[in-house]
Amino acid sequence: MRFKGKRVLVIGLDGVPFGLLKGLLAEEKLPHLAKLVESGSFKRMNSIHPCVSSVAWATYMTGKNPGKHNIYGFVDRVPESMDVFIPTSRDMDAKTLWEILSEAGKRVVVINVPVTFPPRKVNGILISGFLCPSIDKIAQPKEVARVLKEIGYRIDVDAWQARKDLDRFLEDLHLTLERRIEAMFRFLEGEKWDFFQLHIMETDRINHFLWGLWEEGHPQYGPEFIKYYQKIDEFLGRISAWLDGDTRLIVLSDHGFCGMKKEVFLNHWLQREGWLKLRTETPKSVKDIHQESKVYSLIPGRIYVNLAGRESSGSVRFPDEYERVRDEVKGALLGMTDPDSGERIIEEVFKREDLYHGPHYNDGPDLVAIPRNGYDLKGNLDKKELTYKGPLVGMHTYDDAFLYIKDVEVRKEDNQFGVMDVMPTILKLLEVTPPEDLDGEALI
Amino acid sequence: MERGFTVWFTGLSCSGKTTVSRQVAEELRKRGLKVEILDGDVVRTNLSKGLGFSKEDRDINIKRIGFVCKLLSRNGVVAIGAAISPYREVRDYNRREIGDFVEVYCKCPLEVCIERDVKGLYKKALAGEIPNYTGVSDPYEEPLDPEVVLETDKEEERESVAKVVRKLEELRYVQPAEAVSYSEEEEETIKQRLTDLGYL
Repeated sequence: MRFKGKRVLVIGLDGVPFGLLKGLLAEEKLPHLAKLVESGSFKRMNSIHPCVSSVAWATYMTGKNPGKHNIYGFVDRVPESMDVFIPTSRDMDAKTLWEILSEAGKRVVVINVPVTFPPRKVNGILISGFLCPSIDKIAQPKEVARVLKEIGYRIDVDAWQARKDLDRFLEDLHLTLERRIEAMFRFLEGEKWDFFQLHIMETDRINHFLWGLWEEGHPQYGPEFIKYYQKIDEFLGRISAWLDGDTRLIVLSDHGFCGMKKEVFLNHWLQREGWLKLRTETPKSVKDIHQESKVYSLIPGRIYVNLAGRESSGSVRFPDEYERVRDEVKGALLGMTDPDSGERIIEEVFKREDLYHGPHYNDGPDLVAIPRNGYDLKGNLDKKELTYKGPLVGMHTYDDAFLYIKDVEVRKEDNQFGVMDVMPTILKLLEVTPPEDLDGEALI
Repeated sequence: MERGFTVWFTGLSCSGKTTVSRQVAEELRKRGLKVEILDGDVVRTNLSKGLGFSKEDRDINIKRIGFVCKLLSRNGVVAIGAAISPYREVRDYNRREIGDFVEVYCKCPLEVCIERDVKGLYKKALAGEIPNYTGVSDPYEEPLDPEVVLETDKEEERESVAKVVRKLEELRYVQPAEAVSYSEEEEETIKQRLTDLGYL
């Protein structure tokens, strides 16, 4: 079924770096993407801090900074109780692209975008992403779950598998992608829509567990890694063949990736340096921090001052002591080094006023530490060493996401724009007036 | 830990206390809450075994149930008391002791309860075989200001359950169903997923 009129089709490829695609294009390994980039803009894009999918896609779908949309990570804390929770769509305090389009009378189909669970109502279909616990609860309207079950749709791959058996993990990656694509075409062809988005999470997953192996030229997993990207390329070819003249195609990622040398346990370092004290030998969460603590960290690189009057165990006074602690911790972080190589671990430390503004500014981290490539900052409280080399071999990067728009000229240079700017761009393509309080700007 | 509280069902025998309280418990469990029911009939077989139906014994029974509800509530459990509890004074005593106390009055005309007579006790009481039977030979003092009044002779069961749950939502003891993203079990599943990915 084809419908006349302007439409936008978005393919989200989670965590796919511009640099990787450029390299594979140069090696002529992605023929379909090569054909696509002949007509349109293909540019390197910035992500958002902290650079994780939940924050980046929340920023994409709202066109706003985290100080407005309120998603700062995959995990957050309630300072009054120090309870830890997983932020969901209910915590997102901003209208999404698909909600704005719905209000404008457009019909939307959105599949698998992170932080869309529980599915909020749209004019059309919303199938939420991997933070959803079961297919029964995944979609709005609910009946869509039946179709997904028929297809054998999978919410996500089993990442635990990757830690035990990479071959089975690869099988899982292939099957999950195939089922997702099958679901996509079912709705792409069977539904009426003005805006359609499919999110592919599997690229992020393969990057986390195989990137390093590909980089070091592993005889089996190196080629398997490329083969997977070629499968994505074939999918893009199938999409190009399907496109009609009225549909604009956008393909983008939310952050880049690089090889990971080590995981770095910031809370261990904070403890060692005397900034953090725990109430127990076996801490389970930030609930176990001692009130004498000055700061604590949540993944990735988010640092919170243990502030009197905000944190339930808070002891640092605002404003003088708060500012002093932030300055001291920032300075110390910049001097933190890898005990084995002596290399500096932290590239940059932002104060929250450098990054965020809006009604949820106060819920954000007081400092955000940005690691140098290769050092992935973790938030575990129970680690006895600063660094660890485990099965995770890839990590996110800020400045190497990408944006491709078919047949449209993006008027900014590489890295002169970010994920926040894509949403107003889509509104412009669909001729829908953007809300006044967006932080992003249209790129066309 | 979630905030605990007590839901106290009072009303004549066969007025619907057990039926509605069980369904309310089920609904709250679905929302991830820990729930315990203290049903008058069950309590009299253990905690209050040996107590009779004089006013004094009835008061002791209700205070005992109230005491257990208080212990459960302060440990984050939703305690549901379902007992005739005919005397206002002792119900109010429990309210004061527990604090977070929601009184649900199962209002049902005596004739309807007699007609229901699921245990056949009204029949015996009316025949004079059971002394001190509430509604027949013992008084029932209606609550003056209960949080919820259920008219179980007029309402469908599910309406009564919804009324109780809605009040609990209004009083902010429980979050509206649509505002809860995960049950406890689901949250563990998602946390494990994030841990496997190195995101926690």
